[in-house]
Formats: sequence, structure tokens, C-alpha cells
Amino acid sequence: MGAPSFEITQDKLRYSFGLINRMTIPPALNSLDPRVHRLPITGEPGPLVPLAPLDQFGTFEVFVQPKDGKPFQHEGIVHAPNLKMAYVLAKETFTRRFTCISMYVVETRNVMVSPMSEGDMNAYDLIDEESVSYNVGEKTRYEIYHLMKRGKQQVHVGSVEASHPQEAFVEAKQMLNSEKAVHNIWAIRTRDIQFTSPEEKDLWLTLPEKKFRDAMEYRGGEKLKQFLEDRKRHPRYE
Amino acid sequence: MSEIALKELLYKMADDQLILGHRNSEWTGMGPLLEEDIAFSSMAQDKVGQSLALYTLLLQLGEHEPDTVAFTRDAQQFHNCILVELPNGEYDFSLIRHFLFDTAEALRFQMLANSSYEPLAQLARKIRGELRYHTLHANIWINQLGSATEESTGRLQRSLEFALPYALGAFEESAYETELISSGIFIGEKMLKDQWVTQIETILQTTNLRIPDWKLIQPVFGGRAGHHSIHLSLLLEEMSEVFRIDPGAEW
Amino acid sequence: MYGGGNIFDELKADGVELEDPVKLEAFEARIRRGEKIEPSDWMPQLYRKQLIRMIEQHANSEIIGALPEGTWITRAPGFKRKMALMAKVQDEVGHAQLLYSAAETLGKPREKMIEDLINGKSKYSNVFNYPTFTWADCCFISWLVDAGAIVNQLANVKGSYGPYCRALDRICAEESFHLKYGHHCVIYLATGSQLQRQMFQEALTRWWAPMMHFFGPSDKISMHTEILMKWKVKMGTNDDMRNQFLDMYVPKIWELGFTLPDRNLKKDTQTGRWIYTEPDWEEFKRVINGGGPCNKERLEVRRIAEERGRWVRQALKSPKTNYVTPLA
Repeated sequence: MGAPSFEITQDKLRYSFGLINRMTIPPALNSLDPRVHRLPITGEPGPLVPLAPLDQFGTFEVFVQPKDGKPFQHEGIVHAPNLKMAYVLAKETFTRRFTCISMYVVETRNVMVSPMSEGDMNAYDLIDEESVSYNVGEKTRYEIYHLMKRGKQQVHVGSVEASHPQEAFVEAKQMLNSEKAVHNIWAIRTRDIQFTSPEEKDLWLTLPEKKFRDAMEYRGGEKLKQFLEDRKRHPRYE
Repeated sequence: MSEIALKELLYKMADDQLILGHRNSEWTGMGPLLEEDIAFSSMAQDKVGQSLALYTLLLQLGEHEPDTVAFTRDAQQFHNCILVELPNGEYDFSLIRHFLFDTAEALRFQMLANSSYEPLAQLARKIRGELRYHTLHANIWINQLGSATEESTGRLQRSLEFALPYALGAFEESAYETELISSGIFIGEKMLKDQWVTQIETILQTTNLRIPDWKLIQPVFGGRAGHHSIHLSLLLEEMSEVFRIDPGAEW
Repeated sequence: MYGGGNIFDELKADGVELEDPVKLEAFEARIRRGEKIEPSDWMPQLYRKQLIRMIEQHANSEIIGALPEGTWITRAPGFKRKMALMAKVQDEVGHAQLLYSAAETLGKPREKMIEDLINGKSKYSNVFNYPTFTWADCCFISWLVDAGAIVNQLANVKGSYGPYCRALDRICAEESFHLKYGHHCVIYLATGSQLQRQMFQEALTRWWAPMMHFFGPSDKISMHTEILMKWKVKMGTNDDMRNQFLDMYVPKIWELGFTLPDRNLKKDTQTGRWIYTEPDWEEFKRVINGGGPCNKERLEVRRIAEERGRWVRQALKSPKTNYVTPLA
């Protein structure tokens, strides 16, 4: 083959410019991409000046309920400036696809984590009940999550009442422990969580109808089959 | 029921959604924050999807196929308000436009949920969840950025003052306004505008932004009658670039 | 989507001999058992470093990869293509978010990774340093570059690091729509008008060399990958991945009646391996080190996006919620 034809030649640029040269904003970049060509000149081209300090937002854990009757499951994190914004952003980051009927978020700092167990050991056995002080203050509700296998994600199993996180783990050990080994436990104070209100469940109303994001909508099999049959009969594409 | 009145209503709504959805999609991959990039793109998809649903209602009333209607009409055949065709500018303008337009759109569809034209009422009820998200998103962003720094408040204030005359242009009354109201299809732009003003003020009151003196703002009309700024023809030229290579082709 | 697994810089496998041998053996035993390594586990420095680099490059590839297809969103022909492409490119941004989050569990904040990307310190898949001249070029990426990425991803999903595997699970689920959509677009071009067929044939001819570069340099010239394979960071050799891709997709390209610009390309029926003209690895090196048609533009677009968004992030930052390493 000849020379690589990725050269951005004059006539290619001229065509693009014909389309975009009536823009009044001076272009930052001569690009074939009309959106890029429209970008305003911002800052100095070249390496980014180090941001000091880094404007990094806080971290929030996101939990999704896929179907009615199924428990909430941990999905991942979003970075956001606060809890309310985290909820708004998490909704599209984690529940724009597949099935979902509800979701909630909590600041990562408010997630209490047990040690991770090894092999067949139950993480609950690593909790030293002796060292925990009880009834230190007012009791409040904690949500409890279990990790049943390394590589999987935390799943909600129930809630307990406790006056501080360590006590919550002990309560969970007594009330929610399972026969199968639990590898890791999370406890989250319920009032730290930004839940979905009953009216807000409407947010996922049309989710099942977004067919344009389903692989099923893009079955080209019939068209392809027809084409192949035509080709056999009239081999003109050589 | 006057079919012309209904079609005009559907066209202007569909055109608004399509053009704004298209504008908002320009931010995909270039947003200020990854998660927000994703959220803004979802809302753009919702809008384009809603415009498709509205063009489909028009198809059922005898108009052409949605692709033909969207990708081959000239600027003067479009009935969107000028607000939605304006370039994106910086994020403050895009957010303000999102706030002003989506508040009106949510109220409009709420009113249409009781429309005498059943297919439209059904559509309005079906998309209420999408609109709830759009207004939730807009309100939180305006509330937070509008009470944050001097820079963010200043930017939003300037964008607000620039956008308001165009936003009022969305409520330009139709020649068939009385028919729409008397036939129960839609309770009219005036009612919508009044509710919208109340809602906008409610949200702005939670910020450091100055609420405008409505008496001093001159609405920019014309979009509903096909009189647009230069921006719409440039937008349509870009949008139809591939389609026009061969309008009869299947892509 | 991305050409994952191959790390574009030379690997210096030193430092492992300084690690605690008991801990190292327990770590390697866990991997041999097929158990995932989670963020709270002990891990060798080299493992952490290489994983951060690999996941970071994958994330960079997604956010940069959003640009060559993203340019066609505003020009997509018809509602179906318009909405699909919006969703697909959005997914790519979403994948970047998921992957940066996975890399963050290893201790590097997202802002630092983005800064390193823009400053040219970290790399991304070379294939995105080329321009998409036409709609057909965009379709090429949507189908075949995505297909290449999926070959890598399906291999890496069986890797050892929990957070990365979970991110890949989610990514693979979303990619199934991307791949079908891409193939659908190309089928329509192939079965369409003469002009549509020609547009795709030209795109195919243009993009074949970058596609052959996609899986990274040939095994003969890649160095020090044994320890990464042992630690299940790298799940297959570059040539293996390339061969798998050719095996799955060359027949599909030929069945549509298109030609590929490599007269030597054929499958050896005895060995089952594909024979092809050795790609120009000097050209690959030249482009990945900044010499491609779009390198400068890609980073500049990211830099501008960060600069334009700075006032937003600055305004919302609050001392009350500080950055914390993600848990999983």
C-alpha cells in the first residue's frame, strides 16, 4: 500500500473549515472535529500547571437495588463535593444501564470495615467481643453488609441497633452471622446514608425502556444473510 | 380538535428537545467532572429520545418519518425557541439554560399529563421520572454553584441575565392558543410561564443569585415562527452532514 | 475499550528480591489458588506499581478514546445512530470513571492520574492518536477497535486484582451493546450504496496498520513479561491476543466483501495461527511517543476540558468532605 493516509491535508481542512469558518469564537485548535475546533482558547497550551492542592473531591460509596425483593449491593464509588451531589451523580454513573429500582450513597469515611478473613475463616470470628464496650451512648441503627466471596461485592443483610460501630459488629455477629463463612463485614450508621425516597423511585421508571442501549436492538443478521445470498448470486463486489 | 393546533404544539416541543439535546451532547467527553459528564450526557439522550417520541406522535398524525423531519428541514422550518439553539458557551451558561429550560419543560409535561389528547398525556406521564431527574440535577447544581464562590456566583449571574430574555421566548404564544386551551389539549403558555416564574424564583432564593425584575426583561420571540439566529443553520448543517451525503440511504 | 495488557514502557522487574519472602509466597499462593487480591491485602511494590500503571493506561485510553468517536455524535445520521453513539461514548467516559476508581484503590488519586495524562507522563492506547476522517472511520472504531479491546478485557477479567476485575465485569457487560452496534453500522455500510461501501473500504485500508499495532509489540521484542503473567496482571501475550482477534474478525470482514491491505494475511490451517506482514514497530514507537497526527490535539482537548472545568470544581470543593481512598 502507499503512504499512510492519515495526513490531515489542506483539502480535508478546507472542507471542515467550510463548515465551521463562520464561528465567531477564535479556534484554539485547528481540528477536523467541529466540537474541538470550536473550543475556546483556554489557559496555556502544553503541560498542565500542577494544581496545589489537588482539587480532588470526597469519596462516596454507592449501593444499588436491582429488583424488588433483592437486597442492596455495593457497586462502586463516585467523587463528589457532598452527599446530595453524590446521590445525583451516582444515579447516572451506576444506574443508567441494566436493572435498578433504588439506590443510595454514603461517604466512604462513614463505612466501618472489619478485617478480611483468610481461607474458610469467618470474619466474625476475628471480632473480639471482650474488648468492646457496650451501651456507651444512645443506640442508633446500623446497616450491615456481608462479603461472601473474595472478588464479589458487599451485599446488605440487615440492620442492628448499637451505640457505636464496634458494638454494631458484635450485634451483627449475634443476629446476622451465617453458616457459610463471611469474609468481610461492613457497618454503616443508617442516618449517614442518603436514601431514595418513595417518590424518587420514579427516577428509574423508563429505565427498562431504553432499548437503544440494548445489544438486542442491533441484530444485523437478517441484512447480512440477505447480502451474502445476493453476493453468491451476483458476485459484483470484487 | 384542531389538528393544526396540536401539530404545532408537538412540533415546537419536539424541536426544542432535539436542539437542546443536540447542544447538550456536545459536552460528552469534555465535561468538568467525569461523573457530571456522564449525567449531562444521560439527560441529552433523554431529550433526544423524547423528541423522537414526539416526532413519532406527529408521524401518527400524518407527518413524515422522524429521521426525515429532523435531518432534512431548513432552519426556518424549525419551531424551537432561540434559547436552545445558542452555542454552549462555558459550563455556567449551559447549566443556567438547563435550569431555565428543564424547569419549564417539567411543568409543561406535568400540565400535559391531563391533556385531552390521550397519546400526549400518556407520554407525559411516562417520562415524569426522567424530568424529575433533570430538575433534581439542575436545582442541586444551581443551588450549590450559586452559593459557592464569588467566581461561580458571578458567572451564573451573568449567564442568567443573558439567558432570561431568551428563556421567556419559550413561552411565545401560538396563533392557536385559544383553541389549544378550549379543546383541553394544553392549558396555555401564559399559565405555564406564571408557574415557571414562581418555580425559578423559589430555587434562586436558595442561592446568592439576584432574582430578576421581570418587568425589565424583553422576551426574544421569533423561534416559534421559524425566525432563528445564525446558530441554528450552523447546527443543522453539522447535524445533517452525514445524512445529507445520501438522504435515501440506510445508515 | 482499549488495548490492555501491554504496557507501553519497558518493564524493570527489580525490587522483587527485596520483598519479604514469606509474605511474597503467601501472596503468590493466593493467586495460584485463583483467589482475588483485594486492596487491604499485602502486595509487592512491583505488583502495586504495575497494576496502577496498567489500570491507569486503560482508564486514559477510555477517556481519550471518547474523542475520535465523540466527534461524530453531532453528525450521526438519523435518530438510531445518534442516540446509540451518545450512549456508547458516554459509556466510555463511564469506563474511565470505573477504571480510575479501581486504580485509586491502590493509592493514587484520580486528579494525579489525570494530571499525568495531560502532562504526557502516562500513556494510552496508540490507536486513538489517529483522526476519524469520515463516519465510516467512526464505524471502524466502534466495531473493530472495540472488538480488539474486548479480546483484551475478556482475558484480563480473569486477572488477580479484585477491583480491576469487578470494573472489567461491568465494562464487558456494557460492551456487548457497543460491539453489536459497531457491527450493525458496518453491515449497513457494506450493504448500502456504492458510496457507503467505498467509504468503509477506505477507512479499513487506513486503519488496518494501527489495528495491527493495537495489541502491542510482537512477543519477540516485548521484555520481562513473565512475572506479570505469573502474578496474573498480564493474562496473555500480545501475539496471542492479536491472533485471537484476527481469528474472530478477519473472516467477518472478508465475508462483507472488503479487502485488507496485507497480501500476506492468511490463516495457517496447520498451526491455526494467522500469518501477516510484520507491522512496523518503529512507526508504533514513533506515534506512541508523540509523533502521531492527533497526539497533541488529544491531550490539548483534555487539558482545555480540565481548565474550563476548574472554576466548577474549585467552587464545589469543601473542606468538610476530603478525599479518601476507595474501599473496593
